[in-house]
Amino acid sequence: MTQLVQNLVDGLGQGSIYALLALGLTLVFGVMHLVNFAHGELITVSAYVAYALASWGAGWGVIAIAMIVTSILTAVAIEFLAFRWVRGASEFTMLLTSFGVHFVVAALFVMYVSPRPRNIPKPEWIFATVRIAGITFEVFDLVTIAVTLVTLVATERVLRRTMFGIALRAAAEDFDAARIMGVRSNLVIRGAFALSGVLAGVAGVFWLMRTGTASPTAGLTPLLFGVIAAIVGGLGSLGGAILGGLALGLIQVFFRSWLPSDLAGLTEGLLFVLIALLFIVRPQGFVTVRRAERA
Amino acid sequence: MRREPLERLAVPAAESVALFAILVVGGLLYTSAGGSARDTLVSQMLVNAIVVVGMQVYIGNTGILSFGHVGFAAIAGYAVAIAAIDPLFKRIFIPEAPFGLADVHLDPLTATIVAVLIVAAVAFVIGLGLVRSGARAGAVAPTMITLALLFLVYEAARNFTELTGGDRSGLSFGPGNSLEGRTWIYLALGLSILAARLFRETRAGRLAQAAREDDLAARASGIDPAVPQMIALLLSVVVVAVGASLRVQLLGSMTPNFFFFGYTLLTLAMLVVGGRKSVTGAVLGVVVITAGSEATRYLASDAVSVPGFDWLLKEGLSDVFLGGAMLVFMILRPDGLLGDRELGDRLLRRLRSAQPRPEPAEAITSGEAASTLTVRDLTVQFGGFLAVHEVSLQVHSGEIVGLIGPNGAGKTTLLNALTGVVPATAGTVLLDDHDLTGRPTDRIARAGVARTFQNFRLFPALPLREHVDIPEMVAERYRHARRGQDARGLLVAGGLWDARERLARELDTGTSRRLELARAAALAPAFLLLDEPTTGMNEAESAAMIDHVRRAAEAVDGGVLVIDHDLHFITRVCDRIYVLDQGRVIAEGTPAEVRADPQVREAYLGRAGDRSEGAIGDAPGAAR
Repeated sequence: MTQLVQNLVDGLGQGSIYALLALGLTLVFGVMHLVNFAHGELITVSAYVAYALASWGAGWGVIAIAMIVTSILTAVAIEFLAFRWVRGASEFTMLLTSFGVHFVVAALFVMYVSPRPRNIPKPEWIFATVRIAGITFEVFDLVTIAVTLVTLVATERVLRRTMFGIALRAAAEDFDAARIMGVRSNLVIRGAFALSGVLAGVAGVFWLMRTGTASPTAGLTPLLFGVIAAIVGGLGSLGGAILGGLALGLIQVFFRSWLPSDLAGLTEGLLFVLIALLFIVRPQGFVTVRRAERA
Repeated sequence: MRREPLERLAVPAAESVALFAILVVGGLLYTSAGGSARDTLVSQMLVNAIVVVGMQVYIGNTGILSFGHVGFAAIAGYAVAIAAIDPLFKRIFIPEAPFGLADVHLDPLTATIVAVLIVAAVAFVIGLGLVRSGARAGAVAPTMITLALLFLVYEAARNFTELTGGDRSGLSFGPGNSLEGRTWIYLALGLSILAARLFRETRAGRLAQAAREDDLAARASGIDPAVPQMIALLLSVVVVAVGASLRVQLLGSMTPNFFFFGYTLLTLAMLVVGGRKSVTGAVLGVVVITAGSEATRYLASDAVSVPGFDWLLKEGLSDVFLGGAMLVFMILRPDGLLGDRELGDRLLRRLRSAQPRPEPAEAITSGEAASTLTVRDLTVQFGGFLAVHEVSLQVHSGEIVGLIGPNGAGKTTLLNALTGVVPATAGTVLLDDHDLTGRPTDRIARAGVARTFQNFRLFPALPLREHVDIPEMVAERYRHARRGQDARGLLVAGGLWDARERLARELDTGTSRRLELARAAALAPAFLLLDEPTTGMNEAESAAMIDHVRRAAEAVDGGVLVIDHDLHFITRVCDRIYVLDQGRVIAEGTPAEVRADPQVREAYLGRAGDRSEGAIGDAPGAAR
């Protein structure tokens, strides 16, 4: 029982990160039907900024803010430099464009920093634990969950209450109709990228605290989990993305704790098998867009 | 089947030989001027060309972005290494290999064949999964499944060290354990180019291309993309596996990183820069990217120093070049340098332009016993909205029946439900006594119900000729009872013959609609369903369309159900008309009867008595 609750909280902590990434991916998908495989670069770039700041002795508070700002700027820059030019192109072109961005960013870091990973000291408190009702929890998980919750509530507010949010949701529902109703497509798309940057920034902070390394491909693993979560949630569905992320985190943690130790190295691999099977069984994801939006 | 061996086979075959010769001679010339480093470079380029040409077979023809091909390559690499390496060496690298694999020792050629077979078996299973996931051009699910394969193979190779030697040691070939010399590479390359090029002309290749261009339109033409896509996948991975086996034997060892993201980037860049849709493009891409990446590597090496550019000429430049090339081409020229052009296109066009003009199709079907298409109590519900409510109608052979109604009446939904594009909630669709309800779109088309689309859906990158040739090919297999004359006559009848070598995406709206009509008729259907054939046409074109619809009806010798807003057009072309309003049939009869019906006038014009009776027939603009 204790183990179960611990795993549950651990999984939700892990899953929170995926949920934030998936939400950003799904927002961008909604406005331009692009599955953005360059979303992980937001984490990569901000991780290097964090590394630079950490080596100058900055604290994690400063680093966290800088990472989120970097992530937003990177998202908008990538939209401006690459994606705006392939708007409305075939899905094949957009997919490969996003991979192209990934490859270029990774190669630039190899070129100008180093192919080797850089280490960033993790904050002390992430190893701390706290006992609640006789069960030991990792403080890090609790903080991740809490911050994610706050971020999601804030995002929800933005999407429901602001003019921008309403335009964004309208555009995600039916881009052409929204345009006819006077929604400015450039602003909405750029806004969706910026918002996905905020979410990826927050996710990036926790990801970096956990892994403590910046490398040219640092964003790849979280990206893949984010994409998987977004697809599991039924691309384009906001609620589905969050559920997908949390489910993925839980599955990952339970896999790791139940698998025999000699297979533990294959957790990620087995997760991929599971996901591949999932696509085969339910290619449309578990939450179809309509149900998620109405729920 | 239409016999045109010269164009279909001889020219592509000659083209393959020419491509092969260019690569070989170019490689020899380049090598002759330099030492062994150049020799190795050329060997690697030729082996990469095999892999990229293999990828072209799948990605190019189906339009599905696969990351799994490098994963398949990794499987082939390990299979050939484990099978071919002398047990003496294996005892050093992988002494504890399971299943007694440490003692296996095959000669390199057998090992390569075994590797290819293993990969083909894995690909078959993955291919079934891809089909199940609804793979179509540009879809994300197949990209994710194949990406999962790539990562899984990589992770397994790194973790399953008893078998693979893992990251550190890897597996190294001993002397005599591998296929040596260029001969094998030449042989494999020549065959690969030939196979890939000829595949584009095969039935499977052409059906896959049609589905790549428009999945739904292909299905509505009786094509089930699953089969051609699977054939493309198998041929593709076989070629890739051969290339991958030769690559590890050339490099003399195998580690997980040989076939991972780096190689994916390299091969994908090669494929898309030259032009993924053509074999010539794939080969050109290999040459361009090899040259570019070697040049950047050379510039970035310590051997070169350009004052003022040190910031640029650093390690990693060649990867920036690869990624940058991919990105720049996706943005500026997504179809690559060549698009879908092949080396011999000009020759092919010349040969084809000399073809005799067929007679305009009088009847492309042999005219069997008359049949009836029956819709009984068909209901389509979207959530709480009843788009079509208990609609019943009948179309007989030789009849042209109209379906009219105001916007949102459910006309297109009815057509979609009839052809299996959207599921019907209740009711039945019968072709004579053959139940079509709930069958997939391609099966309904094969049964003899062909259709067009409201916003016409052609195969944009295919020539007009293929738009009738492909359905004719389908008709030969599934509609042979009805099929009679040459479907190309339909191009003549539609006034499309002279433009037959042009690509569909270059056409204006009117011509596109005529082509779509010809494509549907080429399937030799018993019934033609036309969804707004005059939308987007000017009045002259729409008047001419009346003739075209009549002629198509005669050509297929069947029945026609036509939806349109243009009442003028409908009343002139149809024998009978059904009027649909808010999902229900509100009237039925001859054009004159329907025009006189007060209910129809109310539904169409809002209030009765607002306009004179004649206005309905004479004011096409009112409904537009």
